[in-house]
Amino acid sequence: MSNAARQTDEIVIEVGQRHIREVNQDIMAACATGRPIRVVNTLSRHNLGVGLPDNVDITFEGSVGYYCGGLNTGANITIERNCGWAAGEGMAKGHITIGGYAGMSCGAAMIGGTIHVKGDAGPRVGVAMKGGNIVVEGKIGYQSGFMAHAGRIIALGGAGESCADALWQGEVWVAGGIDSLGVDVDVIEPTPEEVAEVDAILDPLGLVDSSRNWRKLVSGQRLWYFESRDASAWLMI
Amino acid sequence: MCGIAGRILAAPGRVGADLVDLMDAQEHRGADSTGFAIYGLPRETGYVLRGMGFDKSRQGADLDAFEAVLKEHGADFLSDPKILTDENRHYCFRMEISDPTDLQAWVRDADELTDRIEIQSCGRSLEIIKDIGGAEGVSEKHGVRDMIGTHGLGHARLATESSVLPNASHPFWARPFSDVAIVHNGQITDYFTWRDKLTRMGYRFLTENDSELIAVWVSDQMKAGLTMEQALKKSITSIDGVFTYMIATPGGIGFAKDRFAMKPLVVVNRNGDLAAATEEQAVRRVMTEECDVINYDGPSLTGIWGVGNRSLAA
Repeated sequence: MSNAARQTDEIVIEVGQRHIREVNQDIMAACATGRPIRVVNTLSRHNLGVGLPDNVDITFEGSVGYYCGGLNTGANITIERNCGWAAGEGMAKGHITIGGYAGMSCGAAMIGGTIHVKGDAGPRVGVAMKGGNIVVEGKIGYQSGFMAHAGRIIALGGAGESCADALWQGEVWVAGGIDSLGVDVDVIEPTPEEVAEVDAILDPLGLVDSSRNWRKLVSGQRLWYFESRDASAWLMI
Repeated sequence: MCGIAGRILAAPGRVGADLVDLMDAQEHRGADSTGFAIYGLPRETGYVLRGMGFDKSRQGADLDAFEAVLKEHGADFLSDPKILTDENRHYCFRMEISDPTDLQAWVRDADELTDRIEIQSCGRSLEIIKDIGGAEGVSEKHGVRDMIGTHGLGHARLATESSVLPNASHPFWARPFSDVAIVHNGQITDYFTWRDKLTRMGYRFLTENDSELIAVWVSDQMKAGLTMEQALKKSITSIDGVFTYMIATPGGIGFAKDRFAMKPLVVVNRNGDLAAATEEQAVRRVMTEECDVINYDGPSLTGIWGVGNRSLAA
């Protein structure tokens, strides 16, 4: 974004080679003002903007490293380009937009809120998630939704190998090809009511397309309880 | 957790300085030891050796014994060995030697001395510098920033499976093959099974570091005639564990990732001017202009990047 397009009351915070604790203290102080925040020169550094409060609008210019937006409790976070591992890990509430590629374990163990990835997502997106929604416009990576307990992962551009592996009670929705399914996954044709629920999530993001051929992946529930007769099913490779 | 890095320059230059930057940016991933494998301009004959002796008070006797073995194999020092000592008990050396009659036979005999003095790299162009300490500390001690070359590897070690010892640092040389080095981030879970098997085949392990296994395993595959590409692919189904490792030869750098996609690899490749690292923030230290990064995040990936504007990553 050019300087001219920036909001005039915006607070700009420089990262560079500064200590991350210092940067995060500046971010927290800026959150208290209620003004929009722009974090610049991020250099793919880790742990930026962790534990942000409600009613905050923050943009990270360029790419960020690991755990950006983790433990979010309501902030509206924009990452302009890529993020490293586990963006939005454990977040409870709020909205994270990732402009590019989301690295491994995006939205890991999140319990609420929405993560919107405009590019592809890496392996194990939504691993162990317990609520909320992850919308990926591109393809989701290897073992996406691994052991997700609740919540929805919605992939508009297909899925990689071992998709929805050992899913617990979450749902993985895929439009497009699936390279392979993980263990104990059932693929079901969603009802129009269920599609309407998903479209309601996509609508505010401007991503509704009625021509999509959805597949909904849920747990086969066979591995919910370990039985020795099922041991071979666990040996996925 | 460890940090690894690879760097290929578009033209020979200060590859040492770039590798120090790449490793300094990843020092938080493992600060107990740091190492570098640097490919300088290759010599036509003779080898450069890097290594260490474990007791500096016995340095004279070590070098005499080493020289005797060298002479038995028809070779000699081309210049006086350079010895580096500090407050640590071990000392480090750099030697230039003429070609032994049979390189592998000489390495086998020289390895009889490894309880005292150990060769850690042998190459027409490869030099492995490794020590305990962080990137800047090791670099300052060994002058890594000033090293000129075409490409190289870096490693920051967080010892999880074996002790912190200077010779258990990475990179590891794929002895006895000249000019081959590896760095590894991960854990090899069938280490003892493989180590047993390879020891019975006559291979020698100088440390208890599981990463050394990859170097020895790759040596064995090369001996059986596999190309680097074939060996990389085969390692994914042969070696159990979680890993991303890189292997360098005079021709370039290859990488392999385990089938669970547990360890990261981030690459910037601008027509053969290439930086690879565990973390994106490291490659951004040496690629300061805005550039596209490739995340090799998937499972069972391999690739080879050539030196000299050749790009064969798969």
